[in-house]
Amino acid sequence: MGKELMTGNQAIARGFYEAGGHLAASYPGSPTVEMLEEIKHNYKEIYAEFSINEKVAFEVGIGSSFAGGRTLVSMKHVGVNVAADPLMTFTQTRTKGGFVLMSGDDPGMASSQNEQDNRLFGKFAFMPVLDPSDSQEAKDYVKMGLEISETYETPVMLRITSRLCHSRSAVELGPRVEVEIKGFERDIKNFGMIPPNTFDKQFHMKDRIEKLGKETFKLGINRYEPSEKTDFLIITSGLVYQNLKTLEQDVSIYKLGMVYPLPIEELRNLSEQYENIIVIEEMMPFIEDQLKIEGIKCEGKKFFSFTGELDVSDIRAGLEKAGVIEPVDSAVAQESGEVMGRLPMFCAGCPHRPVFDILKKTKKTIIGDIGCYSMGILYPLEVLDTIISMGASIGIMKGMNKVLKMAGKKEPLVAVIGDGTFYHSGMTGLLNLLHRYDPDDNLTVILLNNGTTAMTGGQPNASSSSYGDGSDMNVDLPKLIATMGFDRVRVVDQFDYKEAKKVIEEEIRFEGLSIVMTTRPCALKFKIKEPNFYVDPSVCIACRTCVKTNCPPIHMKDYKGFDKQKSSIDPSMCVGCSVCSQVCPVGAIKRRV
Amino acid sequence: MNIILSGVGGQGLVLTTSMICEVAFRAGYDFKSNDVVGLSQRGGKVWGSVKIGEKVYSPNIEKGKADLLLALEPLEGLRWQDYLKKDGTIIVNTSEVYPVFAIAEQAPYPHDFLDQFRKDVHVVAEDVLKISQGIGTSKIVNVVMMGMLARYMDIPLDTWKEVISEKVPEAFLEMNMTGFDRGYENIIGDSY
Repeated sequence: MGKELMTGNQAIARGFYEAGGHLAASYPGSPTVEMLEEIKHNYKEIYAEFSINEKVAFEVGIGSSFAGGRTLVSMKHVGVNVAADPLMTFTQTRTKGGFVLMSGDDPGMASSQNEQDNRLFGKFAFMPVLDPSDSQEAKDYVKMGLEISETYETPVMLRITSRLCHSRSAVELGPRVEVEIKGFERDIKNFGMIPPNTFDKQFHMKDRIEKLGKETFKLGINRYEPSEKTDFLIITSGLVYQNLKTLEQDVSIYKLGMVYPLPIEELRNLSEQYENIIVIEEMMPFIEDQLKIEGIKCEGKKFFSFTGELDVSDIRAGLEKAGVIEPVDSAVAQESGEVMGRLPMFCAGCPHRPVFDILKKTKKTIIGDIGCYSMGILYPLEVLDTIISMGASIGIMKGMNKVLKMAGKKEPLVAVIGDGTFYHSGMTGLLNLLHRYDPDDNLTVILLNNGTTAMTGGQPNASSSSYGDGSDMNVDLPKLIATMGFDRVRVVDQFDYKEAKKVIEEEIRFEGLSIVMTTRPCALKFKIKEPNFYVDPSVCIACRTCVKTNCPPIHMKDYKGFDKQKSSIDPSMCVGCSVCSQVCPVGAIKRRV
Repeated sequence: MNIILSGVGGQGLVLTTSMICEVAFRAGYDFKSNDVVGLSQRGGKVWGSVKIGEKVYSPNIEKGKADLLLALEPLEGLRWQDYLKKDGTIIVNTSEVYPVFAIAEQAPYPHDFLDQFRKDVHVVAEDVLKISQGIGTSKIVNVVMMGMLARYMDIPLDTWKEVISEKVPEAFLEMNMTGFDRGYENIIGDSY
């Protein structure tokens, strides 16, 4: 069928399609988002959904596998924490329909709140971990993963890093193979995970991993590339292997496709032929520790960083330190001076802008959450005081309030959370506010309802269809919250700046529990197409109130005939949201007609 | 051949990277590419790399090893110029996008970027936004710059055009084609 260029994400979707995949579920999170989108758009044979959170996605996957369907569940690394509860028990069962968990790890944290190494989940859950090094392998490993899953009756982790998710390379296409869905058969000993049914499951998990470790050679997933001229054996996997090959060094390489379980006996035999064994892996010493436990002498983290990516130059430096390669006296590359940074910022027309402008002026403690509005912690807004994990803001606000009160340091507290994050795991935190609530708790939740999961590219969520995006869920958020038992819910259009400021300030002042929901949709997904604005320099007093809203098209500039710089708006970027014109104290910002 | 692309979220850099890959692929080369797109759509810096050759292992390019730098914005050109090898070429769109620090007047935008580019590389500078707007839309900056890039690559123009015609939205096809041609022609004699 020929070759096509594909990203790692696209290749995984393709692999699942070719392997006769039946159901794919996910919660959007960088770097894995495009995988499920690819399935949704291109492979209609597969049922695919973005679930409400990773735990639910995983559970939908379990049901599919129980019924004999080939199943793929995908999420970013921290998403696996959310799904860990069903994972850790599901892994005890004898897997029916092949089950692959795609974990998008993010060494270097290009877009994540931590750097956790999810290979450890593999060991934690007695679950094999596959680690591809390019798009072709990403595709092949999905298929292989499903087969391992069915043969050894285990879930399989396909661990892929953010670079590979977005990297493109050529992939050989194959036809789809239809796989029969065997259906669900009652088997309480296998599916009813309570003791004593769980007792012999511990042995099942242990046995399958040991068996797979002994039979890895059958899979052909690991590769030994010997070189005659060296005493060094390098053990590595994933993109790090490709970076190492770029150096074109005369070393022996053992490339792992499966990093758990390791082919210990094969590696033990090989180790006897080499003076030195070096392990190169990103993040934790996962492979290195396994080898050391088995008494195979090696070094790894002694020469390579425990954090960040290991790019070509990092590998060269580490190998020089390890004495594997001679330091090359390469011509010193010219180093230019420091270049001004470029932080991400709210888009032109972003509905978060007026809210954060108002919150900044309140000078209160604001507990943040995960989404585009996390950027409210960055310069120059610096409005948010904390960010931890999805949906955590409301619980954190509650605990902080209780303890501050205990110390006689009571102050009004505010939590901001988006609609997607609220559905994901903020609802439970909100409900929990009703428990042991004191009437003098001054807590305000600002629910930024922008109609989409914006940060990851605008996927629909449970109330998106009320914004007319054609999706199928239309939860009435204020009604939901009222039903939960909150009587003070105020809904406000934040593009009416004065009104929004009044409402937010009133609710922060209010002694008690209150919720403010804003209504404007994401400007990236639901484009604003209004005539744009311009600054009349003869009226502008250069007070910079508009500049402080931190909007991409607005900055100070020189005008002919004026001594002082005045504000200006780049017409190619302005979408016409009007917020700057509303904060201007002298009416210098006018709409073009 | 090693190419670095850099710009600001929303400039279409990811699509550009994928089109260059597709062109190299159809011309029979091995290739790998990368995009770093963290918070890109929200005005953050975004960059990518394309490596083309007989056999390509890593998609990543080391400092001092790039042949070409396609900078969709001047500051993002300065940021990545150390990746160019001696005698490499920067193709830069001179239309400025202010980062937060310049908006907030913490530091001046480096309007003298042309003087700050390395002296041991070639610089090709054009106000590509102006060219694009002249054609009828500000959205084709990336394709005009692909036209400029095509001058430096030994791949038939028809291959480039075939890929563009498949990848850009139908309604904008004509403007994209005009843009590509304009970029390709424009580059002559404008080197600094």
